Amino acid sequence: MAVSDLAQTSKAGVSARSGHFDVAGLSMLAVVAVLLLAPLLAGGFLLYSLSLCFANALAVLSVSMLVRFGGEVSIGHSFFVALGAYAVAIVEHRLGLSIVVSLPLATLLGAGAGFVFAFPSRRLSGIYLAVATMALALALPEILIGFEKFTGGFEGLYIAQDLIPGIPKALQHYYVALAVLVLVCLALAHFRKSAQGLALLMAQAQPRAAEAMGITRSWARVSIFTLSAALAALAGALTGFASSTVSPNSFTFFSGVFLLVGSVVGLNRLSLPAALVGGAFITLVPTYLAQAGDWVPILYGVALVVVTLVANGGDLRRFLPRRVGR
Amino acid sequence: MSVAGFIRDILPLLWSGLISGCLYGVGALGLVMVFKSSRVVNFSHGNLACLGAFVVYGFSSGSLLSLSWGSAVALALGIACTVAVISYVLISPIVFKSDLASTIATLGVGLILQGAVQLIFGADIVNLDLPVPRYSFSLGAIRISSYDLAVLAVTLAIVGGLFVIIERTRLGVAFRAVSTNPFACEVCGLNLRSVHLFSWLAGAVLGLVAALLIVPTTFLSSTTVPSFMLQAFTAAVVGGFSSLPGAAVGGILVGVAMNLFSFYVAPEFMNSFLLGVILLTLNFFPNGLLERAIVGRV
Repeated sequence: MAVSDLAQTSKAGVSARSGHFDVAGLSMLAVVAVLLLAPLLAGGFLLYSLSLCFANALAVLSVSMLVRFGGEVSIGHSFFVALGAYAVAIVEHRLGLSIVVSLPLATLLGAGAGFVFAFPSRRLSGIYLAVATMALALALPEILIGFEKFTGGFEGLYIAQDLIPGIPKALQHYYVALAVLVLVCLALAHFRKSAQGLALLMAQAQPRAAEAMGITRSWARVSIFTLSAALAALAGALTGFASSTVSPNSFTFFSGVFLLVGSVVGLNRLSLPAALVGGAFITLVPTYLAQAGDWVPILYGVALVVVTLVANGGDLRRFLPRRVGR
Repeated sequence: MSVAGFIRDILPLLWSGLISGCLYGVGALGLVMVFKSSRVVNFSHGNLACLGAFVVYGFSSGSLLSLSWGSAVALALGIACTVAVISYVLISPIVFKSDLASTIATLGVGLILQGAVQLIFGADIVNLDLPVPRYSFSLGAIRISSYDLAVLAVTLAIVGGLFVIIERTRLGVAFRAVSTNPFACEVCGLNLRSVHLFSWLAGAVLGLVAALLIVPTTFLSSTTVPSFMLQAFTAAVVGGFSSLPGAAVGGILVGVAMNLFSFYVAPEFMNSFLLGVILLTLNFFPNGLLERAIVGRV
């Protein structure tokens, strides 16, 4: 009797809590439904921008994931995005295969590169990783231009193959990007509750307790960076597919910083709306404010500072005079 | 390659590596001072130095005003210090709460400065020389120019001045105390904010000096100085990121290594080489190359 009572109450508790959750779930479904139907109304250019938004949202998610689970910041995720995009282009040029093959391949390559990159700083605090990612972002353009034989140099490469022949290209780009984004969001929500996800969170929040349970900090660091880089490469593959072209112009030093801006604007959340807000911010602002070119970095900088201050500042009254510091 | 030819090549390479390395070291000192006192990696360092260098250009070349070089530099120092104070004040609410968030905020400041430079000075590529007479003499295989001597003199003066301040003045004692144990300092009634401000100002000055001295060897544009700061970051990592002598020595090592790499391997993969240096250092010498050589001090 008592046991079933207990089960009943705990079940009630869960549904009471998830009742709160259901609103979020329902609004999420509404967002997805609107996005699914958008191609009926939207024109070609908007559809193209939205596809890029989805791809960038995924890249933003990869940075947010690193911040959330690893407590690290990266300004060099553009490297892994570029890796994914060029993987798609090069697989098509050299082997003549479509993204059926290159999407998983890009993700694997991203994971491998992420592991190699994160391994050296496994024992150090996050700032060393941040500095190393800065070098990564700055090294990217010269690598893309230097290996002209594979990457096409300044001109870049075109990506022409369809996933499913016969369906209009714009629709394919749009729906593939949307589908991958939604799937990744679901997977991340699942990962958050999985044993692996909890282990990573624990290694970040309570390193000593985690070590006592056999989860070492360096293992957590390397594995979260590997996952995040794989996600970034997947996003890059989608970016390449959606824009039908890759070139060094889209991967300057600042594209890595902008990914971080997108992540911060989405408050480093891992949900679909946050990712969409971040992705839209870094995709649509440069597109629609093209005449205001030089104002874009200023706008991004202001957004970065303001959001960081508001999110971390807490109650600002504590910083009035009479109390210094802390 | 003959031995004599090798020696003829290597001496000038080492010499010019030493000269540019001094400047990377000066840039790195600014980063390390800010990091040691406030635990923030200042990603706006390069952008601020770039703004300062452009101010010197704008006020001395006639594009905004045509002042003498000296007064333009004084003006640029004033502007750089003001911006440094403003950016510290901006992040001061979160500087004790989260290293990561404050570091992200400095990136935001860097973006704003970058945009400001592009807005005011455009995307032009300009030349900005030092006002030193052109003069050079040979010493064996090495050719020493007046520019080299100016760089050495300024570096020695700056590093010496910094050393005196940190070793001999009350401010320096406070700086060392704060970088060792901020909590104990606060308990003793030391104002952490003023020490932080000192290091941010020193960082701005060091960055500007390094930028003004490095620009004559290349050119000035809205991207060269920020990417030059990658050398400073690498120097700081090689030196361990929290050791001032380490930063200076790291700068010289990086300067020499870069020169050798670009001469013997591939000049177009400079940044990739620096990335490799950073990753190898982090893997094999996580606390910097000088970890054992210097224990305790500064």
